[in-house]
Amino acid sequence: MPMTTSAILPAKGSADRLTGTFWRRPNLLLLLLVTPPLLWLGVVYLGSLAALLLQSFYSIDEFSGVVKEEFTLKTYAELFRAQNLDIILRTVVMAAAVTLTCAILAFPIAYYAARFAKGHWKAAFYLGVMLPLWSSYLVKVYAWKLILAKEGVLTWAADGTGTGFVIEGLLSVPGLEGSSLSTSPFGTFLVFVYIWLPYMILPMQAALERVPTSMLEASADLGATRRQTFRTVILPLAMPGVIAGSIFTFSLTLGDYIIPQIVGNSARFIGLTVYQLQGTAGNIPLAAAFAVVPIIIMLIYLTLAKRAGAFDAL
Amino acid sequence: MRSDARNDGPSLLLKITAIGGLLFLHLPILFIFLYAFTTEERTYQFPPPGLTTKWFAVAWNRPDIWPPLFLSIKVAAIATVMAMILGTLAAAAMSRARFFGRDQLSLLIILPIALPGVITGMSLRSAFGIMDIPFSTWTIVLGHATFCIVIVYNNAVARMRRLSGGIMEASADLGANSFQTFRYILMPNLGSALLAGGMLAFALSFDEVIVTTFTAGQQSTLPIWMLNELVRPRQRPVTNVVAIVVFAATFVPILIAYYLTRGGSETAGMGK
Amino acid sequence: MTSAVEFQNVSRHFGQVKAVDGVDLTIAEGSFFAMLGPSGSGKTTCLRLISGFEKPTNGQIRIFGEDVSNTPPHLRNVNTVFQDYALFPHLNVRDNVAYGLMVKGVARGQRHAKAEEMLALVKLDGYGDRKPAQLSGGQRQRVALARALVNEPRVLLLDEPLGALDLKLREAMQDELKALQHRLGLTFVFVTHDQHEALSMADHLAVFNEGRIAQIGTPQDIYDRPATRFVADFVGSSNVLPPALTRAFGGPEQWASLRPEITRLAAAGPVTGTVTALRYLGSGTRVVIRTGETEIAALVPSGQPVPAEGTTTAIAFDPQALHLMGET
Repeated sequence: MPMTTSAILPAKGSADRLTGTFWRRPNLLLLLLVTPPLLWLGVVYLGSLAALLLQSFYSIDEFSGVVKEEFTLKTYAELFRAQNLDIILRTVVMAAAVTLTCAILAFPIAYYAARFAKGHWKAAFYLGVMLPLWSSYLVKVYAWKLILAKEGVLTWAADGTGTGFVIEGLLSVPGLEGSSLSTSPFGTFLVFVYIWLPYMILPMQAALERVPTSMLEASADLGATRRQTFRTVILPLAMPGVIAGSIFTFSLTLGDYIIPQIVGNSARFIGLTVYQLQGTAGNIPLAAAFAVVPIIIMLIYLTLAKRAGAFDAL
Repeated sequence: MRSDARNDGPSLLLKITAIGGLLFLHLPILFIFLYAFTTEERTYQFPPPGLTTKWFAVAWNRPDIWPPLFLSIKVAAIATVMAMILGTLAAAAMSRARFFGRDQLSLLIILPIALPGVITGMSLRSAFGIMDIPFSTWTIVLGHATFCIVIVYNNAVARMRRLSGGIMEASADLGANSFQTFRYILMPNLGSALLAGGMLAFALSFDEVIVTTFTAGQQSTLPIWMLNELVRPRQRPVTNVVAIVVFAATFVPILIAYYLTRGGSETAGMGK
Repeated sequence: MTSAVEFQNVSRHFGQVKAVDGVDLTIAEGSFFAMLGPSGSGKTTCLRLISGFEKPTNGQIRIFGEDVSNTPPHLRNVNTVFQDYALFPHLNVRDNVAYGLMVKGVARGQRHAKAEEMLALVKLDGYGDRKPAQLSGGQRQRVALARALVNEPRVLLLDEPLGALDLKLREAMQDELKALQHRLGLTFVFVTHDQHEALSMADHLAVFNEGRIAQIGTPQDIYDRPATRFVADFVGSSNVLPPALTRAFGGPEQWASLRPEITRLAAAGPVTGTVTALRYLGSGTRVVIRTGETEIAALVPSGQPVPAEGTTTAIAFDPQALHLMGET
């Protein structure tokens, strides 16, 4: 092989020279890459969050309905009125109930998909969870309005099987009253569970897939029964996945204002309150203060979750 | 009787609950399709008293449906392009060595979907209020692009993690400048993941209603049109026809995204 | 002879970690040079300093006399066979090999012809249409080699290229690489943690320890006259005597190495020990004698009496044969 070329090739054109510049100053390239997204998220998103905070420290003039742009804690004080505390409490209870139910319902699906589904079945399971997760939110909510309606599928099925008394019974429980499930708080709960369930399944499955089969075998070798293996090995290892999933189900339920508007008894939740305050009521400061509530709840929740190592399972 | 954990194969109970769970996730959607053909337009009577296909023609001729459809497509298209650019840049920055503020940036990218949509919506609404920005297509796009960045970002980051880091160095080693490496090595290997991310971003944006109500003002996207119909129903089966369109507009991109990223887990675990 | 690569007091620090610390090194043109050392000793960082994927914190690197401080990797006429091969998964074998020519703007027909030529050189003719995923580990290694050679580099860098291959294939590739280097007359710089590989393939080698070069020389130098206790330990096969034992054998109180071939067993001598292991090697028997904390191996030629395991024997040899060395 002839050795005619030099050990260093000349830079041909600006592309070569620019590559050299990037190589000599790696931070320059990094800066070029990071600036646009950072600027966008920093200005648009963080800027908006700052605007939200700012608004929440303003107040509204009770007579003219005009926003007074002066710093005050008056608006936050309003959150502590009984009716507003009610809304917050109702939302948190709902979010907690939804999260818990999702975790219970998600487990068999995630466990089956992670441990037993192979090949095509595995793909089918994955797609079977992914599609409902991504497909239209509004369409899914609408589907439940059809199903839960008084004249709808569920009543028809219950009448046909003679189980109508179950629905009747549910609707007579104090706090869950309604003319049908579609106007009962239980209906709201049901739809929340349905819509957010896939968000629980996927991280849970990811966590369970990380449990090596050998570990289960080791547990069995040590004489553990299935139940013991489940309680002492599988459940603790699945926990980060459950926590990761619960971040979604909890956060999404906290902020949702569409589902309680369409299914249920129009009881107010945080999201719905924010929506109504900024819209018809025109009380943007109070709406902003209400929107800060889920942020604080989620920050507490995320801090706790981070301590439990939930982010490794995302 | 005790059974050994090694004695594999799922128990019957597990099988039933798992399959039941999947059915629970899928069956409700079917009723959307069924009700698009019912002859009953005032209630959700089941079973439908009769079947007809006339609602598709009725929907086609309803002038109030077309402008929201076009607005939704326009917003989704612009938001997707912006999210693809910004998400790819962020992913490329993250794939490089650790740098100061790296963790903060990744948190910032995830924040718009980690916090409830109502907060993003209300924040943007507050900012528009304070800055006296009138509502327009662009105010909608601003919100959509913000929460779509993370979708593209996740897809790109997952693919970069799967790629052997050495191939970029190998390309430079063989004499390629950064632009050639980008064109001949990075794009062919990252392209399908980016496309998948774009598909998902489009689906997400097309369907989004929670943030949009705060940023749209008097404008109406297709989901907002649907929401109004749900709250104050008129011809109910027409809403179902539109719902089928919205469903298809999200379903098809998701399927494509799935096939583009098969073998990886780019699309898993991250939501709206 | 010109030097192909020259390091002048080169350091590469990552924060507090001194991956490479004040290395001086000259690699002669046309030599097969090995960088040997345990993982984390700085040998791979040195290789990456030559290819340009790392920049020195201090010092200067010259390739064929030219300072490369300002030369990015893609303008260095130096190519690398990567440890995991780093083949482009989306390109077939032919396009992988032709890549270096493609980015230089060589026309399609011409670069494909050249790629086939290179594939023939590594005995992979006819594999051009396959994708890397369809190849075995050994075949991938050859593609990586062909790809790195297509640009006719002045220096070829090999980063543990045989590490992923099984023993038999590795030995075959050792011979082939050596033959190839001979034929092409290229400068090869080879990183490995396998002392046998380094000793059998290289004509010169540097032994790395904690970012510094512990010793540099021919395989013979390194094997027979390890400069430090670390080198003797790492290269193996020589006996390493602690200072007290060296003194007992009649030397100064210093670390020393002693080759098994010149270690003799005797009825009486300054040091005695217990025979703990015997290994028949064909040309002789390797006898391991334990004395205090130290094990000393002696090679007893065929035909001479071999002591039984568990018996006590004395060790004797000419103190002149002791090779004295530093501790690190």
